[in-house]
Amino acid sequence: MNQARLSPRKRLNDTLTQWKMIGGFRQSVADFIERGSRNMMVVIGSTIIVTLIAFALLAPVLPIIDPTLQNPYEEGKGPSENHWFGTDTLGRDVFSRVIWGSRISLLVGTVAVLFSLLIGTSLGLTAGYFGGKIDYLISGTIDLFWTFPAFLLALALAAALGPSLSNVMLAISVSYWAGFARLVRGQALTVRERLFVEASRALGARNSRIMFTHVLPNCLAPLIVWASIGVADAITIESSLSFLGVGTQPPAASWGYMLYRGKTYIGEAPWIAAFPGIAILVAILGFNLLGDGLRDVLDPRLKGLRR
Amino acid sequence: MSYVIRKLLLAIPIVILATFVVFLMLYLTPGDPVSALSPPHATAEQLDKIREEWGLLDPPWVQYGRFLWRLGHGDLGTSVGFGTVDESVSWLIAQKLPNTLMLMGLGLAISYTMGIPLGILAALKQNKAADRLIMVFTLVTYAMPSFWLGLLFLLLFSNYLGWLHAEGTSGGIGNIILPAMTLGIGNAALTTRMMRSSMLEVIRMDHITQLRSRGIPEREVIFKHALKNAVLPVITVIGLDIGWFVGGAVVVETVFTWQGIGYLMTEAINRTDFPVVQGCILVMALFVIIGNLAADIFYAYVDPRVRLG
Repeated sequence: MNQARLSPRKRLNDTLTQWKMIGGFRQSVADFIERGSRNMMVVIGSTIIVTLIAFALLAPVLPIIDPTLQNPYEEGKGPSENHWFGTDTLGRDVFSRVIWGSRISLLVGTVAVLFSLLIGTSLGLTAGYFGGKIDYLISGTIDLFWTFPAFLLALALAAALGPSLSNVMLAISVSYWAGFARLVRGQALTVRERLFVEASRALGARNSRIMFTHVLPNCLAPLIVWASIGVADAITIESSLSFLGVGTQPPAASWGYMLYRGKTYIGEAPWIAAFPGIAILVAILGFNLLGDGLRDVLDPRLKGLRR
Repeated sequence: MSYVIRKLLLAIPIVILATFVVFLMLYLTPGDPVSALSPPHATAEQLDKIREEWGLLDPPWVQYGRFLWRLGHGDLGTSVGFGTVDESVSWLIAQKLPNTLMLMGLGLAISYTMGIPLGILAALKQNKAADRLIMVFTLVTYAMPSFWLGLLFLLLFSNYLGWLHAEGTSGGIGNIILPAMTLGIGNAALTTRMMRSSMLEVIRMDHITQLRSRGIPEREVIFKHALKNAVLPVITVIGLDIGWFVGGAVVVETVFTWQGIGYLMTEAINRTDFPVVQGCILVMALFVIIGNLAADIFYAYVDPRVRLG
């Protein structure tokens, strides 16, 4: 059949079939892409995210004005042909600053979530797999951090450590890992009772092997969902901290910090605060959509994961 | 009863963690903790005096013990940055607390009066245009940072329309509406989603089908029978929402310069008034812990499966 006359989805399917997907990793990936491409939320979410990542990566080579360049003749000018989003009070181009700001938000989001993932997964896996006293101790700690509101803890840490990019990432990681740990622990508790784990143990597999080849892969689906939502939360926390003045500091052009500075001029020059706000909204929306969509695709049972 | 006791016991280590985090904050500051407590360019004698006053020369556990002891007596320390008179942190917080409570209360009310009807509507019109519209609305409002929404409100109502003077606490009821709306709308998204899924679950239950098959009017089935069951899980999470509201209040109060403890705290952060920051964080953390505890107990009270299960 003529490839060009098929719908894009059909074409994708055909390509995937030609890969000779017989079991294993490739099959899972192909299956995942196929199901994901049918979910509107996943498609819209990932489109937004890919666009953001492209802007973030390409910022240095895009034909845009230097985000730190101050132009005293163009202070606080509204959107125009030369400055699509207008200029701020120092005459810097808001459009270019919003593009460069995506680097900070994405960096904070991914690094903080990776660290939380690392802490949460290792603690949750240990607790759920070994059980007993270790579990008692770790799950107590998890509960403590889970009950303590992440934003307040991050705020306390950021206020104490002083405003800087790395401190923000540290503060978010320390306050956010408990969600991952709870997920992995719960999953590990059920998986370790399954027959294939018992079989593996009977064959003489070491604990570490069972944990990493059997238990962890079974936690992947909820982890991916939670990580996507986590990036959205991390971006929210980062921008809130920056808005309060304890987050990232200049010359870095963080969206939250731009809003913090633009707040004073909201009456005279609303574009200074409006555009970074839209950027935050779109980024959070993208990761939330992806997370919600992936949850439906990967595991509909997870619906109760988040209200 | 043992369920309630268990929950109460579990709250104790959380309170201790909160006090410990707040205590630790001072030691996480870069450099000598004394620098966080002293005015800039303090002389060596002044620094020594502050060290002695604050007992910074004692071993850490002694300091923590003293910190807890003072907390037990309602003493949160003395402000180091506000004006010429040293003011007690507890007094500062007590002054601002009613404003925050008022804001959170109204925000909570707005969130539920918006979220519950919208959620019911979305569930009853599942997969129809109204449902889609409501779900898109919740997605967008949930993703919208509250400080940005607040700024948009300021711009629209205060600058363009000139209806409300939004900033500050003085000037009566008009001033609280915008901050409370900002705070409420973000949480309304969560309430709507939860109400929708809860309602969808209930209207598929056998007893509802049975009522319908008996020919009872749909309106009566929904509002007299289904609603009662569906609204319960939504109401019981009010306590859990407190965590969201406390974090949101800090940001919203800063946007609207609403004189609550959130604004007090951001001001204190900017002036590096450490004892005030510590006090505010602790009070907010206590709020959240109490809220969570109340939610657990309330839930067990209305749903016996929880305490017996």
